[in-house]
Order: sequence, then structure tokens, then C-alpha cells
Amino acid sequence: MPFREINSKMVEATVLPGQRLFSQRGAMLAYKGDVAFTPNIQGGQGGLASMLGRRIANEATPLITVEGSGTVLFGHCGHHIQVITLAGDTLYVEADRLLAFDGTLQQGTMFMGSQGGVMGMVRGQVTGQGLFTTTLKGQGAVAVMAHGGVIEVPITPQRPVHVDPQAYVAHHGDVRNKLSTALGWRDMVGRGSGEAFQLELSGSGAVYVQASEEKL
Amino acid sequence: MATFRLQGSRVLAVDMSGDAVKAKNGSMVAYDGQMAFKKMTGGGEGVRGMVTRRLTGEQMTVMEVKGHGTCWFADRATEINLVELRGEKLFVEAGNLLCTDAGLHTGTHFTGVRGASQGNGLFTTTVEGSGQAAIMSDGPAVVLRVSRQYPLTVDPGAYVAHQGDLRQNLQSGVTFRTLLGEGGGEAFQIRFEGEGLVYVQPSERTTIAGDV
Repeated sequence: MPFREINSKMVEATVLPGQRLFSQRGAMLAYKGDVAFTPNIQGGQGGLASMLGRRIANEATPLITVEGSGTVLFGHCGHHIQVITLAGDTLYVEADRLLAFDGTLQQGTMFMGSQGGVMGMVRGQVTGQGLFTTTLKGQGAVAVMAHGGVIEVPITPQRPVHVDPQAYVAHHGDVRNKLSTALGWRDMVGRGSGEAFQLELSGSGAVYVQASEEKL
Repeated sequence: MATFRLQGSRVLAVDMSGDAVKAKNGSMVAYDGQMAFKKMTGGGEGVRGMVTRRLTGEQMTVMEVKGHGTCWFADRATEINLVELRGEKLFVEAGNLLCTDAGLHTGTHFTGVRGASQGNGLFTTTVEGSGQAAIMSDGPAVVLRVSRQYPLTVDPGAYVAHQGDLRQNLQSGVTFRTLLGEGGGEAFQIRFEGEGLVYVQPSERTTIAGDV
């Protein structure tokens, strides 16, 4: 189900009978037609086990199931919205950045430590994003929120990309990530360049970076 | 020389091949290739620059970014404007300066009473030489041309930067009405005369003048 971008801060989704989509609570701005919004206590799909997984992982952002037939406008807190289309690959994104996504996408949680070992866990702490992240897999569209607009930076095997952990929004593709440090003695004595930690993404795919170092 | 280009209006992409740029501390959001980040002492040229900066309060914390590849810069989602300098001097508030070509010289300049009324202090930063600079504004800035016949008057809170051969003086619109609390809300203005360009943002900083 595609999202149509109305402007940089609003998207419109078309809901058809038999199809559903999930959105963050409070993100609906307006709708036309016969559309029902049901709070999803499980915080997504996948039954009880994955609900527990999300609770433990603290990735349990309350979601709303949207069903029926009509069009719905989504937007949240004036944040910029970026629509990402997945063609069978996996998107890694923080649960609180998800505005709305296609119901056909498979939702899961991933333990950060499973990528990059101890550094993966440190990464979660440094970025303030915790140890888990949400994954979405399959064919469909996802609308994610960011502060101040997003650029897409391609990652190729020859060109790994380094991202400021605070400016990182999401990434997709076959990408490994690890935290790299540029900590020298200068940083210890308070004369650092302000770029002490970076997220290094290598492989092939793309990373979405926001024009700000502020969290949502 | 490093190439500056805007990606959207809030992200600056700089393509580098072994050359360097000076950027506001912590403003890097992403890079590919090989980059090295080094804090510059006091952000000016040598010990003298450092001391003036400390004294004047126009203290920018600047880092030098050097390498091969593309480096992306952004700061709190503010709009970015590119300025091309050909041996001219650009006057800009330190807080509005995002990134400059390493070949450009930065210094401080005494602004007198204008700065104080703007809420920016008595000094401003100058950027001089040939190369590109990226300045930030709250909302997209407009560039207004000033010529001999057409001087320009600007609200101090909306002023961002200027370049060229310009003289500036502070105008006061304070009358007895202002004292009675019936002022026009535009108690102070800066008047620019000469030949040059003035960058104005569609937003007003909180200034002393705003309360008068």
C-alpha cells in the first residue's frame, strides 16, 4: 500500500477492504471514507510471543490498526516524514520513529548485540536507543519520522558510510553496523572535535540521516 | 578545492579530495570515504586569534575536517545558505557560521552598539578570502542587494550576514510614544549604505530592541 506525500510533514494512505496498516497512536490527522481505528494492545503483529519480546525490548510503541476503505492523512508533531519502499529487504528503525507502515510487512525486534558484539551494545547506549531495534521485512511502504528532513546515503562495499549516532534515522539492505570511536587523548581533556563516536555502516544498502542532532 | 553543495535546504554536502574545511564543532551528520576530525585551538589563527576570541565572546568552536570523500553537515535542522567569496569579506555572527573552506581566513570585528542592540554582543566574525562558506538561518534567508541609490534598513533580529563594501549604522526609532508604551515595535534598525549584499532571515532573534 503506497503512501502519497502531501508535503514534507504529511502523508496520505489509501486503505482498501481486506488490507490493513499500522500507525502510531495519535498520528491520524484526518480521514475520508469508512475507516476504523482499533488500538492494538499487542503493539504490532506476530501474536503473544512477539508482544512479550517487544515489551522486554522496550520497543512496544502503542500502535493503531487501520482498516476499512478510504484515505487517511498521517502526520505527527510536525516532524518531517520520509517514505521508504521495501522490496523484500529489511528496514531497521527505532519503534518511536515509525509513523505508519503497511500491514503486510513483518515486524520484529533485533538485539543490537547480535551485530557487532559488545560494540553493538555500547552503540545502543551511546545513541540512547537501547539495546533493541525494530525490524520491518517484506514488500511495502513505511513512513518514518525525522527531525528536519532526511537524506538517503547509499552504502556500497567500496564505500562504507559513517553516521553521527544522533543523526541516524534508519537503514536497510545487507548492512553491518558497528560503533567506531575517534577518541583520542584530546577528547579526554575536553578538546575533542565533538565527533567522538560514529556509526560505521558497511555492506550494500542505504542509510537515512536527518538534518539535525536532536532526537524526536 | 572542496566543493560545497546543498542536499535539500538543511543538509550541506562537501566533496573533498585531500583538502580541508573548517566546520562548527559536532555538525557532521555522516560521511563516506576517509575523514579526520581535529578540533582547532580557539577557532582562530594562532594564539592572538584565540585570545581575541576569548575576550570578545565570538568564540566559535571549530573543527578541521580533512579527507577524501563526501562529508554531510547539518545543525539543528536550520536552513543553510551557500556564499561564494572572491577575495571579499563576509560579516557573519559566529553562531550562524556552519562551514568554510579551509583557505578562508576567519577573524573578529568590532561592531559597536549595533551588536549590543542585536543581542549578539559587540563583536562579529569575519570570513575573508576566496572560496565557499555555508551560513545558517532560521528559515530560508533572502539576499538583498544594496546599491548607492538604494540603502537598506534591516531589523537587527532578522539580520544574518552581509558582504561587500557596506557601511552600517544603527537607527533608533525611539520617540516619546515608545516611552508611553505605544511604540511601533521596531525601535531599532540597522541601515546599510554602499554596495553589497545583506542576508536576512524570516525570523527575529530576541533582541533588546524587541522589548522597547
